[in-house]
Amino acid sequence: MPLEPEIQSLSYKKRRSFFFVLLLIFIIALPSFIFYSSGYRLNFDNEETTIVTTGGIYITTDNLEVDVYMDEERVERPRLFRSAYYIQNLESGLHRVVVQRPGLHTWVKVLPVDANIVTEAAAFNMPELPHIRPIAEYLNQGGQGVFVVKGSTSTPLFTKATTTGDFIVVNRATPATLRVNSEHEYVVDLFGSTTATSTSIINRLEEEIDRLTTTSPVATTSTTTPLAYIEQGEMRLVEYGDELAARWIGSGPSTPHYFCSPQAASSTVALRLGLHFAQQIEEQSLSTTTPLHIEGDRVCRTEIRLDRKWQKIKYYEFFPRSSDLVVLQLEDGLYVTEIDDRAWQNTQLIYPGDSFRTYVTDTNIYIEENGHYFELLTKIDEDN
Amino acid sequence: MEEQDKSHLLPYAKRSDFKVGRATELTGTDRRLYRTLEIIPGALSWTILIGMILASMYAPFFAAYFIIAFSIYWVLKTLFLSYHVRYNWKRLKHHMKLDWQILVRRFDYEHFYHLTIFPYYNEPIEVLEEAMKGLLSAKYDPKKMIVVLAAEERGGADAVNQAYVMQEKYAQHFGHFVVSVHPADIQGELAGKGSNTHHALHQVHRDVIEAHNIPHKDIITSIFDVDTVIYPDYFNCLMWHFLTAENPYKSAFQPVPLFNNNLWEAPALSRVMAMSSTFWQMIMQERPEKSATFSSHSVSYQALYEIGYGQANVVSEDSRIYWNLLIANDGKFDVVPISYPISMDATIAPTMWGTIKNIYKQHRRWTYGVENWCYITYHFIKNKNIPLKKRLAIGALQGEGYSSLVTNPILLFILGWAPIFLGTREFHETVLSYELPIMVRNLLILAMGGLVVSAIISLSLTPPRPEKHPRFRYIVMVFQWIMVPITMIVFSALPGLDAQTRLMLGRYMGFWVTPKRVNVK
Repeated sequence: MPLEPEIQSLSYKKRRSFFFVLLLIFIIALPSFIFYSSGYRLNFDNEETTIVTTGGIYITTDNLEVDVYMDEERVERPRLFRSAYYIQNLESGLHRVVVQRPGLHTWVKVLPVDANIVTEAAAFNMPELPHIRPIAEYLNQGGQGVFVVKGSTSTPLFTKATTTGDFIVVNRATPATLRVNSEHEYVVDLFGSTTATSTSIINRLEEEIDRLTTTSPVATTSTTTPLAYIEQGEMRLVEYGDELAARWIGSGPSTPHYFCSPQAASSTVALRLGLHFAQQIEEQSLSTTTPLHIEGDRVCRTEIRLDRKWQKIKYYEFFPRSSDLVVLQLEDGLYVTEIDDRAWQNTQLIYPGDSFRTYVTDTNIYIEENGHYFELLTKIDEDN
Repeated sequence: MEEQDKSHLLPYAKRSDFKVGRATELTGTDRRLYRTLEIIPGALSWTILIGMILASMYAPFFAAYFIIAFSIYWVLKTLFLSYHVRYNWKRLKHHMKLDWQILVRRFDYEHFYHLTIFPYYNEPIEVLEEAMKGLLSAKYDPKKMIVVLAAEERGGADAVNQAYVMQEKYAQHFGHFVVSVHPADIQGELAGKGSNTHHALHQVHRDVIEAHNIPHKDIITSIFDVDTVIYPDYFNCLMWHFLTAENPYKSAFQPVPLFNNNLWEAPALSRVMAMSSTFWQMIMQERPEKSATFSSHSVSYQALYEIGYGQANVVSEDSRIYWNLLIANDGKFDVVPISYPISMDATIAPTMWGTIKNIYKQHRRWTYGVENWCYITYHFIKNKNIPLKKRLAIGALQGEGYSSLVTNPILLFILGWAPIFLGTREFHETVLSYELPIMVRNLLILAMGGLVVSAIISLSLTPPRPEKHPRFRYIVMVFQWIMVPITMIVFSALPGLDAQTRLMLGRYMGFWVTPKRVNVK
């Protein structure tokens, strides 16, 4: 048995030495970590190791199962927050982003990346083949939808789309066992007695006249006076004759990034974001009604024109729960387009045809075609 | 019960403001000075926290760099502290294996008495009984023990009677056995452990020490929480350290409190908090120049007598007694860590919510120890006999300790993300804004590596498993450590901020008695 404890208390010298080792690590680590988190990287590609400044791209998707490609290389899916991709270590310049999945429209954009800056974008992928949920006029006792037709019941009702939900087609008079589908009544009410398109525009025109006569501050004029508008949050859609534009009516600092460009020469802007972007900046710089505004180091447009594919717009509305996407009914079908026009606007056909009516609520897209009503589904099962 | 005769006191201890408890006890400039000192800790903590929010809003780049620096600092601090815990763990295990009875044999120590005081309020008699049994199972002559059961009149007649029951049952085993009953509502006192101990020391001085003419220098006083159960060799270990200390009469002896009496009955939350407190004391065992006494500890009776015992008007009396001694002795008083355990109760209650409340209140009382910073700073200004360097070092160290206790967890786990949510648009567009959460997350995960060390050490300090508990409980005891980020905020930062804010606003706290449960060891 020892006469003294064999383990003495930790000596001051040892503690001090350990402290200074950790202090040294701190002194070395701090600038390294700060430089790294600011986007600086060591480049070992050349013979001489150099420090390069990098940027990034942040893409959000509306579908968890899509594949994201950056400059033709697949990006690994994030483990957490699976709808958001943060792609690091990108050199300054233009980068092509593709978001795709079989069965969905492909979203493609060429985005500029600057050193130490992250470029944001929101991708969307609508189904290529329309998928609908029929809304029958009647329900049978089992809750099954019942469509009553005059002709043969074997003729398909919905030829352009796949359907979900159970329904049957009959051509007899309404049996007593059927009950009226309240959802059908609701949707019929939405569309009203006239076409949804014309009703919508007339109503809006009346509202606009009201606003003008009461000198409401929201009644703005442009080189072409807007005929009507609708709003979602702080985004407004305004009509100019055949044209439709998205206008930001919120505060300057909260202007969405795609309205803006770093302050630069017109040619640089055209190269980075597209000729149309540069032209709009030039146009709006001369405009008194839709002026450019400077936000720190960036210049922001007030309006972005929407791509109508050289067709007439029959109906428009914000995409449900979005102020960045717009539903456009053109001559050959129903489209969803993004307001973001950097490089170009992605516009995806969600329902083809020229003889149907559309009504978009805050949550759903309804269509009436050949006297039948249905909801157009813009999501397909992510497991498929 | 303040002494009338001050002749036996050290010169500085004779000052009328030596045992000041709060600003309201002073007058004039001193009162203003003390009040200012009471405001500083809370004001500083709030300034840091609000400053971080403002910096995130108006200077997000600076805030982000600060957070990165702070996260790196936290990782390294974890490493630094883990090193201390690990080292002390080795020493503790070694000390527990030694036969201190043999080690102390080479000294002449038979003339020493151990005065052991157990102040209590209304704890169950089983708790008192366990304490008595602990003393009797010690490998030390019980006839050389003076045992004091210090009851509180405010605890009620039943609680007081328990002391007499114990006296009847155990008094014959010990050299002396005293039951003291601290009267309720003595003016100038704060009801609690401090005032009770203070009263008991006066009584034992009169009834035993003076009556039997025991030299003060031959008495080592141990002031134990009533749930303290000593390990068999505690007094031998204490004696050895006392006899080998450089200045035994100018030293306080600090064991390692293991809150493990009821560890198997305690919920995971309580276990984590109990072990975290133990780990902190283990760290302090290896940094004695930075520590003060905590909870149960021992000190020469002579030293206590020279300062008129501890204070009867403070909440955190266990640490205050050390500061009293340090200041009265002009800075020449040390803490000697003995790296030997004592067992105490983990805080629990019949319900989970009750446990949470009790832990919160207990930690608020502990963190109210910030009142000691006001006390030492006040006396460091007054007592110029203490070397300036020592005054500055202790003042800064203690101040930093109380500030970091409150601000560090909140800065790390909550405000670390503030620039991301509150920063300007220019900041949000930068790579820094996107990299910050990733970097902070990774650094915190790295820091959590220290918890592996905690889990291993805590298992080794856990008492043997009672048969009624399944082996599966061991697995829970390992994974319980993932709660640490939450416990740091809820049971360290928030009660600390609560305590500092109360002191800042002059809403002084009273002593809250932690409920003790039946010892099931």
